[in-house]
Amino acid sequence: MPALRPHIALFLFAFALAEVCPAEDAPFSADQIEFFEAKVRPLLVKHCYECHSRDSKKLKGALRLDGRDLAIRGGDSGSAISPGKPAESLLLEAVRWESFEMPPSGKLKPAEVATLEKWIELGAPWPAEANSSAAKPSDAAPSAKQAAGYDWTKWRKEHWAFQPVKKRKPPRVADEAWPQSDVDRFVLSRLERAGLSPAPPAEPRVLVRRIYFDLVGLPPTPAEVDAFVATCERDRPQAVRELVDRLLASPHYGERWARHWLDVARYSDGHGGFLDNAEYAHAWRYRDWVVAAFNADMPFDKFIKLQIAGDILGDRRDAVATGFFALGPTYNSDGGDPDSVAQAQAETLSDRLDTLGRGMLGLTLACARCHDHKFDPLPQQDYYSLAGVFNNTAAGESPLAPPEAVDAFNQHQQAIKDCEKRINDARNKINNEKREPTPEEQRQLDEWTAELSQLRQSAPPPYATAHMLRDSGASDMPIAIRGDLRKPGEQAPRRFLRILAGDDAPPFDDASGRRQLAEAVAAPTNPLTARVMVNRIWMHHFGEALVRTPSNFGVLGEKPTHPQLLDWLTATFIESGQSIKSLHRAILLSSTYQMSSTFNEAAFRADGDNRLLWRMNPNRLDVESWRDALLSVTGELDPNLGGEPTDRVDSRRRTLYFKVSRNGDVFATDEFLRLFDFPLMRASVESRPTSIVPQQFLFLLNSPFMVERARALVKRLHADAAKSDADRIQLAYKLLYQRPPTAEEVDVGRAYIATAPDSNHLSPWEQYAQVLLGANEFMYVR
Amino acid sequence: MPQYYHRDPLPPISRRDMLSRIGAGFGTLGLASVMADSRLFAAAEQPGREPASPLAPKPPHFAPKAKRVIQLFMPGGPSQVDTFDYKPAIAAHAGQRPAAVDRKSLRNTKNGLMPSPFGFQQHGQCGKWVSDIFPHTARCVDDIAFIHSMHTDIPEHAGAMMMMNVGHLQPSRPSMGAWLVYGLGSENENLPGFVAMSPRAQPRGKLANWGNAFLPGAYAGTYVNIHDMRPDRILGDLKNQYLARDDQRRQADLLERLNRLDLARQTADPQLDASIQAMEMAFRMQFAVPEAFDVDRETKSTLDLYGPEEYAKGCLLARRLIERGVRCVQVSLSIDGYDIAWDTGHDDIVGGHKRLADACDRGIAALLTDLKQRGLLDETLVIWGGEFGRAPTSEGQKGRDHDHYGFTTWMAGGGVQGGITYGATDEFGLSAVENRVHVHDLHATILHLMGLDHERLTYRYSGRDFRLTDVQGRVIKNIIA
Repeated sequence: MPALRPHIALFLFAFALAEVCPAEDAPFSADQIEFFEAKVRPLLVKHCYECHSRDSKKLKGALRLDGRDLAIRGGDSGSAISPGKPAESLLLEAVRWESFEMPPSGKLKPAEVATLEKWIELGAPWPAEANSSAAKPSDAAPSAKQAAGYDWTKWRKEHWAFQPVKKRKPPRVADEAWPQSDVDRFVLSRLERAGLSPAPPAEPRVLVRRIYFDLVGLPPTPAEVDAFVATCERDRPQAVRELVDRLLASPHYGERWARHWLDVARYSDGHGGFLDNAEYAHAWRYRDWVVAAFNADMPFDKFIKLQIAGDILGDRRDAVATGFFALGPTYNSDGGDPDSVAQAQAETLSDRLDTLGRGMLGLTLACARCHDHKFDPLPQQDYYSLAGVFNNTAAGESPLAPPEAVDAFNQHQQAIKDCEKRINDARNKINNEKREPTPEEQRQLDEWTAELSQLRQSAPPPYATAHMLRDSGASDMPIAIRGDLRKPGEQAPRRFLRILAGDDAPPFDDASGRRQLAEAVAAPTNPLTARVMVNRIWMHHFGEALVRTPSNFGVLGEKPTHPQLLDWLTATFIESGQSIKSLHRAILLSSTYQMSSTFNEAAFRADGDNRLLWRMNPNRLDVESWRDALLSVTGELDPNLGGEPTDRVDSRRRTLYFKVSRNGDVFATDEFLRLFDFPLMRASVESRPTSIVPQQFLFLLNSPFMVERARALVKRLHADAAKSDADRIQLAYKLLYQRPPTAEEVDVGRAYIATAPDSNHLSPWEQYAQVLLGANEFMYVR
Repeated sequence: MPQYYHRDPLPPISRRDMLSRIGAGFGTLGLASVMADSRLFAAAEQPGREPASPLAPKPPHFAPKAKRVIQLFMPGGPSQVDTFDYKPAIAAHAGQRPAAVDRKSLRNTKNGLMPSPFGFQQHGQCGKWVSDIFPHTARCVDDIAFIHSMHTDIPEHAGAMMMMNVGHLQPSRPSMGAWLVYGLGSENENLPGFVAMSPRAQPRGKLANWGNAFLPGAYAGTYVNIHDMRPDRILGDLKNQYLARDDQRRQADLLERLNRLDLARQTADPQLDASIQAMEMAFRMQFAVPEAFDVDRETKSTLDLYGPEEYAKGCLLARRLIERGVRCVQVSLSIDGYDIAWDTGHDDIVGGHKRLADACDRGIAALLTDLKQRGLLDETLVIWGGEFGRAPTSEGQKGRDHDHYGFTTWMAGGGVQGGITYGATDEFGLSAVENRVHVHDLHATILHLMGLDHERLTYRYSGRDFRLTDVQGRVIKNIIA
């Protein structure tokens, strides 16, 4: 691996220096050694060694002070003493409580601090025998560990996620009749080896509901169900293929799938409520951009590149894609305290790195902010190599119109202001002189007023703006020791992660480096980006991903349940030109996807988590699909796409268009969303939790929103006055659950309607309709 | 014992009595399904199975000293040297700036020491010096452990408040209350496990102070504004405005019946079972929540004990809630709609701090007294303090700047020793110098008192185990009784 050598050499050099330094020092005089033994060593033993010596139960900050060379080498925060230079010695800062506050149990006496200062001034005398170059490797400071600690080649070979994507031949299976596609072979071969069999195919009525919610997030109408069922009877594969194609072509597909990506993007309208309280009034342009990109089946590598560097790589419209980062929190300090300012900047960078890392690469990059990643091959330096890119990037509101249009608009507005000023000045002058305008002045005023009116009429419309990134610099940043930007360590050249790009990765030298970062993240040789996305798409179809920690493909993440399938899908995805719609087809046109979710006691005992996919997972609808379905079955849904968000829960628009604050505590829409497990949009979201809490049922039973939907449903069911209650119950079940009711269900419904009290506020039918809409069956896809 | 403790003539009620009264209360509603509760609790005890309800009680790591927490949060930073950390040396060096206080502060004023404008007296058997602006709390000092050596990371409100309430400078972690409910569940399924309150303004950072972050939503605190609270509006849609109770019961029964028919077709889906139970709980909450939040049910003598201040009403509500098994209650102070009340100390310690103490002192003392009378103080940990303190030097003429180097937090009940002082600031009160306690250490200690090991109370999120104390925290053993 020649690529790695120069870097290792650099580190070894640094390491060697630290090792060599003590030997170069002149021997100390007996007086000096005596001073050390009498005054200094007792201090160190008493106040420092509990945490900073070989015998410490827990070594703190990787710092040892029981050897001169160890103290010089220092720990996580850098060198502790610079012999002869008290002012540059961290140890003195720490005991004076200027940076660290050491010892934490209480300040040393001034005389003791003076002793340490004098000792360092003398060159830190220490008897020769105590030099402890024989330190254990684990004692080494981090910079040394970086050199010695990462066997990149081994990492790339041994951790599954860093291995290149390999397309293996689909395995042979015993039951050749089951597979409809190669996906099925991977799944069935695992099941057969475990002695399990797949669940039977889902009933067409169940399947059509599943496919609708999966692809467009809405339920099918009774007519659409009937048509699908009829086609299925003739040719089921054909029916599924046609349905999938039709739904993938629907504009509602983009609405559904954009939302999944918006979770990854921790998308919100701002209002962080903290030191990130800015409102992002134009955030919706990013949301609409993502919807359009999914609808257009934009190749995913292009999609990714535009998220990172759309302002550089694409046209003005594509710059909107950088809202992926620009809409994240940008923190301020609330008092200007320098520590807090640095903290705010560090947190903002951490947001960008975390979103890039977990969102795109499946790596918990942010863990390397203060120290080398404890588990993954992500040195702290790599964190700052990437942080450097965002340190040279600004987020803000920029016009979407071409510069000429912006100039024209601004000039015109200026002309209006100038004209207004002329008029006002003239009028003020006349008023101040307490007189009437002269005829000449009046003529001038009339002329200007006419001009103003003309200017106002001819003003070009205001140009649109969006929140986006732009380059603001082109410099590397140093490592921040312990994550503190006020404690710079060695420089971190801007470049891609070494585990993925190798040590010969060219430095990012094009302005901020975002263009090169975009290329590196989306590169076909990067084993993570496509795999991570393929895994997410699988998750949204099955409820569980193949890698069940979809934003963490590192050592602490889970291993894939079907590694070969994941690779086969990823390879196929890349071959298709990273077409997400093709990937949907590959998954949906499989027997695996089309299995029923029927429970199987024996299979459950063998594989309770359904890791081997012996059935389809029954899934609870997410809040968006559930609310959209409510409006859809009552006939109230506004199907229009895009535009500004709403903060009204009773809006008829799809839930995608709800206003969302970063903390979920500003809008009525926030409150509704949170009630049904909409996550906090403060950090990239890998998957939605489902929790069942009583408050949800208070909403189902008591909220005006549910009552309004019930009333609308009753109206729809009563559109045909000639129908009987039994007919209406039939229709309700078909609308809501895509199936006819059982005889028992019809009886239960009729009995309730016949006997329920006719409250002034809610008729028996309305009460019944509210129950049907609030029922579990409406909330689940099976 | 100070006379104060004898003011309320109510006979003490044991906790057992109280629980059985609550139970009877539900029974008499004729609605509660006792079965639902017992099923929930049984499920929690079966090893290897997720409890059916996320709020079902869970066993602690070890025997707890305290079962419930009331946090009296003082946003804005109360000044230690004007409240509980008596420093006569300031007066002796008034106007001077000795080396010990020559440290940078937020606004980096270079002024000299400013003596406290308030008198201090000794109180209780322990002889604790307390400022004259806390006359009521002063009578409870023998039940209080004062920690004078608190310190935190930064001198800015927003971050420091997050540190105090979520253990992290950014609002991206679960709050302490959420961690406690996650770790221990709640003893009353019909009430939220964690309730946060304040009069008028919410503390800065709002939801994050009681949020669940990445923990499941069931652990989020429920916020109640004491000022405009109406018992039937505590939770969203708590009250049904359409149907009489019996009619609503019929409707809920229909929903349950249809859900059960559905359940019969879907074998072994624990989520469906849980949802049927959650609906029953929701039904009961409609009546349990307004009852719990209805302070008008208190006797006149109790109401008199707490006095008329809004903050005191929050203290009384806190007692009612923990009495009913709510795990954690946070009562934050605000004044005139200002979210960091004690920050009025920048300009004017006399006016600002005196008014704030007047607004909360009586309620705080009443809470301690009331808890003690009812035998609840032993198992209830009460914590008082802000996100940081204020410097002994002056800012402007009459005010003080932020001080994160040293400040005071006190705890009472719940297994801490009464009448003690732990740790110390320097002779002028700026920096914690003896037995220093970081906020992480305070959190570790609170969890410890609640029977939880702060290193073992973890939640795996995005491939990593998170803790309230992150990678820090040590338990302050010396204050535990």
